[in-house]
Amino acid sequence: MRIPYFPGCTLYARARGLDNSTRAALAALGIELAELPQWTCCGTVFPLAQDNYIGMVAAARILANAAKAGDGRLVTVCSFCYHVLKRVNYAVKNNQEAKDKLNNYLEESYAGETRIVHPLELIRDEIGFASLQSKAGGKLRGLKAACYYGCMLVRPAAELAFGDPDNPTIMEEMVDALGGEPVDFSWKTKCCGSYQLLNASDLVVERVRDILSAAAARGAQAIVTSCPLCQFNLDWVQEKFVPKTNGFSKIPVLYFTQLLGAALELPADNLGLDQHYVDPRPLLSGGCS
Amino acid sequence: MATNLSFQMSKEISGRIREISGQNPYLCIQCGTCSASCTGIGKMDFLPRQVIRKIQLGDPGVLQCRSIWVCTACLTCTARCPRGIDIARLMEALRTINLRKGNEILVLEKISLDLIKEIPQMALTSGFRKLSA
Amino acid sequence: MAEEKEMVNIYIMGKHYQVPYGLTIMKAMEYAGYRFIRGCGCRGGFCGACGTVYRKPGDFRLKVGLACQTVVEDGMHLTQIPFYPANKATYNLEEVTPTLGTLLQHYPETTRCLGCNACTRICPQELEVMHYIAAAQRGDIEKLANMSFDCIMCGLCASRCPAEIVQYNVAILGRRLYGRHIALRAGHLAKRVEEIKAGKFDAEINRLMQMSKAELQKLYDARDIEP
Repeated sequence: MRIPYFPGCTLYARARGLDNSTRAALAALGIELAELPQWTCCGTVFPLAQDNYIGMVAAARILANAAKAGDGRLVTVCSFCYHVLKRVNYAVKNNQEAKDKLNNYLEESYAGETRIVHPLELIRDEIGFASLQSKAGGKLRGLKAACYYGCMLVRPAAELAFGDPDNPTIMEEMVDALGGEPVDFSWKTKCCGSYQLLNASDLVVERVRDILSAAAARGAQAIVTSCPLCQFNLDWVQEKFVPKTNGFSKIPVLYFTQLLGAALELPADNLGLDQHYVDPRPLLSGGCS
Repeated sequence: MATNLSFQMSKEISGRIREISGQNPYLCIQCGTCSASCTGIGKMDFLPRQVIRKIQLGDPGVLQCRSIWVCTACLTCTARCPRGIDIARLMEALRTINLRKGNEILVLEKISLDLIKEIPQMALTSGFRKLSA
Repeated sequence: MAEEKEMVNIYIMGKHYQVPYGLTIMKAMEYAGYRFIRGCGCRGGFCGACGTVYRKPGDFRLKVGLACQTVVEDGMHLTQIPFYPANKATYNLEEVTPTLGTLLQHYPETTRCLGCNACTRICPQELEVMHYIAAAQRGDIEKLANMSFDCIMCGLCASRCPAEIVQYNVAILGRRLYGRHIALRAGHLAKRVEEIKAGKFDAEINRLMQMSKAELQKLYDARDIEP
């Protein structure tokens, strides 16, 4: 199976580990991701202003081009890209003014045909967790992983349809299928602080502390996430700010595709595991349970 | 804390808030669920509920509050509002009115070089979209 | 017998002139009496000094061209953009690394790109400006360098950008990084430089230096000429 793929700017450069591990893991499962021949930044963050559409132009162009690829789907893994592309598509389908203005400006005739798909959805729907279990079940040897979704994958539920916005379970199902032990915790859809790292970084430090402590209190050995910014905030903040003396022990934060790649026993140097501040490799190679 | 109850906000600004957000602030019953869910309350001068109240009462000072700039657009308030108000869009409207006048909070020069060299680009892109003019 | 030459109507900064058909915009402006005393450039389509913007009646589209290369058309309403202020970062090419970090450190406004494509539409060289900026945003320096290769730094893109990016300065940093740090070094050039340093050509150069003018003239007249 070959599906059009939109990596996004961050995956191309600073989250190469997520891009490489996504491609490698899906390839091992029989899905080849075909990067769009030409693409620009999606314009990340969906513009909430209703009185103009300039912020949606980039995403609309990407969607219109993806429609021409012929498959009907577009895979993207970065939470911000997923959120923006899916919401702009929803706007084109449901808001006549948005559709008219965007098509007029771009000189396209796009009607919202492209379907945005997240790799987790792809695994669930095209491969099936049962099939995944038969391929790689038990490989994580009971590793206790807290699945952290963040905001942009799950809200607003009406448009993103990624599961229950307060209690999504798709990532936990993957961890379970691979033989890990998903750790449920109440902060899995709380915001990490996002771009406020640039403006009010104490806010990010506070939220990261809350998320990590909540996961650690439930016995998590690792945090698993899909979003490069969440991963950066949770990882980098530990390294920079969390003091070592207050009884807090560092907890590795990795991408769900890296965990999947490790379970599928893919070569570690292609998964980008060495690019994290808190090194997840000792946990993955050593004792998992 | 005393609030001036006379509607001081110009029709133009209050109209602009409604136009940009597409939301009716008078649907708000001041239940406080948004405040309870908010990511940024630790750094806000006014809670989201209070910001909506200021819009309802026509307090032009709402455009100067710090709250709108420490919002992360996490959409939790929108998801939880029992009256179905998209509160994130109201916050965005207040930011947008400021940004279109050139009042911005994220100034390039203040971002540390270390951060520029490491941070995922999506943070810069989204930060600029939300916080700079 | 002189051929009948058609005259065309053009409007230079709003003022109407009749100029002969077949002239370039630059020649037409000089025909109309304007003298270019500064910054009119190479007159050869290479330096980017004469970027001209024009519109024709009944058509809302903005059109561009280089004044030295573009022939006048009837109904052109044109102007040249004067020097448009640009943000230019300073850097030492020897000290910077060919990474996304370098691009963002010097031009962080690159991440403000809206994807509106106004830059591409206004480029007189028909470059895909938005796409090379997209390459810059993701740190693909090779793509940035190759896609912007034909840029003549006319500045029209920067004049249209709502995000206030100076695309051509980002591009030239990309090309410089590519040329200095990424592109393969020419092996034969390095070898030749070594030979020169080792003195392989010293004897021959000295011999030439000692010759009289007459001897040099003889050598010159007898040189190999390609037919």
